[in-house]
Amino acid sequence: MAICTPLNSSTYSSIIPQQNHHDAAVSFARRACWRATSSHRPRRGFTVITCASSDAGTVVIGLAADSGCGKSTFMRRLTSVFGGAAEPPKGGNPDSNTLISDTTTVICLDDYHSLDRTGRKEKGVTALDPKANDFDLMYDQVKALKSGVAVEKPIYNHVTGLLDPAEVIKPPKILVIEGLHPMFDERVRKLLDFSIYLDISNEVKFAWKIQRDMAERGHSLESIKASIEARKPDFDAYIDPQKQYADAVIEVLPTTLIPDDNEGKVLRVRLIMKEGVKFFNPVYLFDEGSTISWIPCGRKLTCSYPGIKFTYGPDTYFGQEVSVLEMDGQFDRLDELIYVESHLSNLSTKFYGEVTQQMLKHADFPGSNNGTGLFQTIVGLKIRDLFEQLVASKAKSPVEAKA
Amino acid sequence: MAAPDQIQSNVEESIKGAEEACAEDPASGECVAAWDEVEELSAAASHARDKQKVSDPLETYCKDNPETDECRTYDN
Repeated sequence: MAICTPLNSSTYSSIIPQQNHHDAAVSFARRACWRATSSHRPRRGFTVITCASSDAGTVVIGLAADSGCGKSTFMRRLTSVFGGAAEPPKGGNPDSNTLISDTTTVICLDDYHSLDRTGRKEKGVTALDPKANDFDLMYDQVKALKSGVAVEKPIYNHVTGLLDPAEVIKPPKILVIEGLHPMFDERVRKLLDFSIYLDISNEVKFAWKIQRDMAERGHSLESIKASIEARKPDFDAYIDPQKQYADAVIEVLPTTLIPDDNEGKVLRVRLIMKEGVKFFNPVYLFDEGSTISWIPCGRKLTCSYPGIKFTYGPDTYFGQEVSVLEMDGQFDRLDELIYVESHLSNLSTKFYGEVTQQMLKHADFPGSNNGTGLFQTIVGLKIRDLFEQLVASKAKSPVEAKA
Repeated sequence: MAAPDQIQSNVEESIKGAEEACAEDPASGECVAAWDEVEELSAAASHARDKQKVSDPLETYCKDNPETDECRTYDN
């Protein structure tokens, strides 16, 4: 007899007393193992018992970003902070979108498309449209993974545009769900321990897509523009509203330091951090809660054009209290990076210079010289901190229940 | 540097298809879905290009065999 309920921190202390009367210590070890009972209504078939790899259950992170999954720079930085490189599952489908490292598994939400490329074309529906995605399956499987049960997840093959046979995903310590709709469905949203939205402004998106696509035969400025315009209504209707639910938003805008810059090379990046999120302490500059404007370049630090400008301060975002840290400009040298790091607080680093070290480790990644790389790295450290605090708090509560 | 030929021709075809679909009715679902397909294929092409760039034979060998003599790293 085992109870099949989702494991989350609020139900912990209530679950333990209900387990076997025999041995509280034994039931503490056992509580992470669940049998999928018939009442659970498996969709595509669940594999039987697997225990969560850490006694604290799986921490689930949601990342919303436009077209692009798993292989993206943000994911690589994130998994690098936790240690180890994330690789596609060995010996499986070579077109799998999943990435697995020692601690982290990254799932691409495109795998929950209910319509493949042909199906979408027939129905005249984009991948952004909720009609093209199976949110029931997404919810069932994320819930299962969070409570320590392995799942058989479908694979959406981006090369062929077809839905391939399922692959087995075992519950990891940290599960990242990345894609277009991690925060769209309310039930899935409630499963997330932390959520991030990557908000690229239209001008920057256009500039990046030009850089990406101009090398392709067949593409022209007009076709790139037409593609963006055609997708915009669905994007604004279904994807953009998710940002109000995110615990952290990374907003990428064109720089204000160079007048009329439309190349999108120098960027102004804002890290919008929600206040009052459990285990998440926003990064701040100099004095928490005050408003700061800071140009580090001067007597102690020489920067080259166009320099660096930081602002920090409290704000409201969709009616919620937030703190916003903003960087406009570029890093040119290592010492600029370490100088900036030494003036930021609440970074959740384990040693002085960890942010700089992480940035250097991936100096070839895009965004390594501006706010995108910096804030993605910082968010990675914040998530690590959140994970450790969550584990520590869950380790404490069974002891209290025992007493 | 362009993506492998198969993917590249897919992108070209999809753009032509989208332009045709939109010539008839720019507001239709077919037109929008066609451009979405172009976006998806362009992203796939870009990833394929990136994959091509990163194939250093030593790197790929060492990913699977980190304990061999050629691949050992000494961090301290």
